[in-house]
Amino acid sequence: MHLFLLGVSHRTAPVDLRERLDFSSRDLSAAAEAIAHRPSMSESVVLSTCNRSEIYVASSDPAQAREELVGFLSDYHHVPAQAFQPHLFALENSAAVAHLFRVAAGLDSLVVGEPQILGQVKDAYQTAAGKQCVGPVLSNAFRWSFGVGKRVRTETALGEGAVSVSFAAVSLARKIFGRLKGRRVLVVGAGEISSLTAQHLRTQGVGEIVITSRTQANAEALANEVGGLAVPWEGMIGALGSADIVITATGSQRPIITRAQLEASHGYRRGTPLFIIDVAVPRDVDPAIAEIEQVFLYNIDDLQSIVEENLSRRKAEVERAESIVNEEVTKFMAWQRSRTAVPTVVALRQRFEAIRRSELQRLEGKLGSLPPEARARVDEITRLIVEKLLLEPTEQLKALPDEETQAAYTEAVNRLFKLTDEDSLDDTRGKRSESPKQS
Amino acid sequence: MNTLPLLLYAAAGVAYAIHFARRDQAVGRTATTLLLFGALVHTFVIGMQTMEVRHVPFANPSRAVSTFVWLLTLSYLYLELTTDERSMGVFILPVIVGLQAIPAVYPGVEYRDAVLDSPWFWIHVSSLLFAYASFGLSGILGLTYVLQFKEIKKKHLGYFYTRLPSLQVLDVMNSRAVAVGWVFLTFGVVVGAVWTAQARGIDPTDPNLQAMSLDDPKIFVAMLTWGVYSFAVVARRTLGWSGRRAAWLSALGFAFAMLNFLAINYFVTTSHTFY
Repeated sequence: MHLFLLGVSHRTAPVDLRERLDFSSRDLSAAAEAIAHRPSMSESVVLSTCNRSEIYVASSDPAQAREELVGFLSDYHHVPAQAFQPHLFALENSAAVAHLFRVAAGLDSLVVGEPQILGQVKDAYQTAAGKQCVGPVLSNAFRWSFGVGKRVRTETALGEGAVSVSFAAVSLARKIFGRLKGRRVLVVGAGEISSLTAQHLRTQGVGEIVITSRTQANAEALANEVGGLAVPWEGMIGALGSADIVITATGSQRPIITRAQLEASHGYRRGTPLFIIDVAVPRDVDPAIAEIEQVFLYNIDDLQSIVEENLSRRKAEVERAESIVNEEVTKFMAWQRSRTAVPTVVALRQRFEAIRRSELQRLEGKLGSLPPEARARVDEITRLIVEKLLLEPTEQLKALPDEETQAAYTEAVNRLFKLTDEDSLDDTRGKRSESPKQS
Repeated sequence: MNTLPLLLYAAAGVAYAIHFARRDQAVGRTATTLLLFGALVHTFVIGMQTMEVRHVPFANPSRAVSTFVWLLTLSYLYLELTTDERSMGVFILPVIVGLQAIPAVYPGVEYRDAVLDSPWFWIHVSSLLFAYASFGLSGILGLTYVLQFKEIKKKHLGYFYTRLPSLQVLDVMNSRAVAVGWVFLTFGVVVGAVWTAQARGIDPTDPNLQAMSLDDPKIFVAMLTWGVYSFAVVARRTLGWSGRRAAWLSALGFAFAMLNFLAINYFVTTSHTFY
């Protein structure tokens, strides 16, 4: 059984094509189910985010699976196959596993190290599992990938540091104020960044968010969006006095907050910090304000350069993350191989056990006269001998370096011990129930 | 006897430094464990010395330093365990290790002056040592505040930004440490004054008591220290001297306290020589 992967991602396909092949807006579980029930495939997980649509399947015939999946994508999304075929990428077995691990670790993301992808991989797996579309091949690989994602996040700084302006602003606020609970926020001018920042601050549990804009309707719209309070433009300076965090984003050509205004409104709260985020261009806040001891003033360029620095720091971590992924792929493949040795090991044990039993049976006449304790001892000793004889071969079989060697050894063991001879296994009565149905 | 705690503190210091540099939680936990273990052994050492001389060992300057280190370690551990914040360890441990080296190298002998039989002695010294331990913490908190403040204010988010707690947390912890220290300093000084007055009635010829005045450097610098911290406490409430100003004040106050506790105590004072 092979692990086969077919998909498009931001690396291979433009956004309009990705949109057309996107599953997330449709019923993911139905898609997974439809795929898993095709003749050449026995398991399937569909991973679909705005940056990728990937189908992972277990198949005994990857070439056939590819053909069927292309047909499926074309039918399901009503897109002619030739429109997306050049943008498809297909991977098999260890390459597919490596890809899955890289995706889970955030290495394949548009913004390297972004944290959402691991949750999306988990969701995709859960959805497929909920429809009984996963078996040993995909469930082992996916479960392993969750561990890889976690490991990369804890052992490297790949996911560290804000990589968007609004998150950079929020993380700064947290370094200034600690917990943001109860902090008062003033938003001056409703724009995209100010709205995003206000939303992030809201999720951090800030207290009141006061919004003001020259256009009252804009202020009210944003107030509705983030659960804030819209105040008229004239109330801006008053609101400034009680704010801990100020976000300015107006289209004004001249500074709307001057040092004199701020000192007048903030005069009575000397000593408490004030964090001003000025994302407007041209700037809304007089730069001289930064000279006030407890005022921290960041403009859009400052935030942008933090974001860039964080991005480059993440990039520096990519190599370490990649080596973790490679290491995990090797470990996983070795583990898989040790699992493929399981049927042979089981058969070998059963064979030995059968011989032991039949020999004991044969000697029944001579052993019959022994007291029960001595008989139990004989049974125990013979069992231990068999265990000892098998210990080393078992370990060796599980630790073979690659599939070819594995096949050769399995073949040799099968021949040497006549393991394929079904009759010889009859005596075992399924004592060991490890599933031989492994890829 | 003070060597074993010193070695454990040094090991903890190394672990705190590695934890700080690499931000490795497991190393951080090792650091805390080593420090806890060091404090435990140190408690045992001080307990033995107490049994030996029948009072907590702090009449001799070296032993007083050892007791001070012990209090500082306990105060720091309290701070760390209550706030779950380990990044200060790398700053406090050099102070702990450096000071603990003094009693480890010069153990000193605890003599007993008859004038020290009063319970006031015990109260006076222990409240002052505890005040110094608080000031030690606040000094370190002040230093880390300044480091963090610089990076945020100058928009140069670097090494300390990611490792140190928020400005607010550092400032609040600093203000509490200063307040606690100030209360104990004030109390210790008042007890010392009362006790001196009493002792004069018992033995007016004692040369130590003769020297008890502001002319004595130890008493003078102690009052100066008290002045600095009193100003810090009042200025925070009335002038809004929080943040960086408060941080510098606490560092300055601690510098005075250490000047008194080490240089003056060992070499200069004429009023506090009980050994």
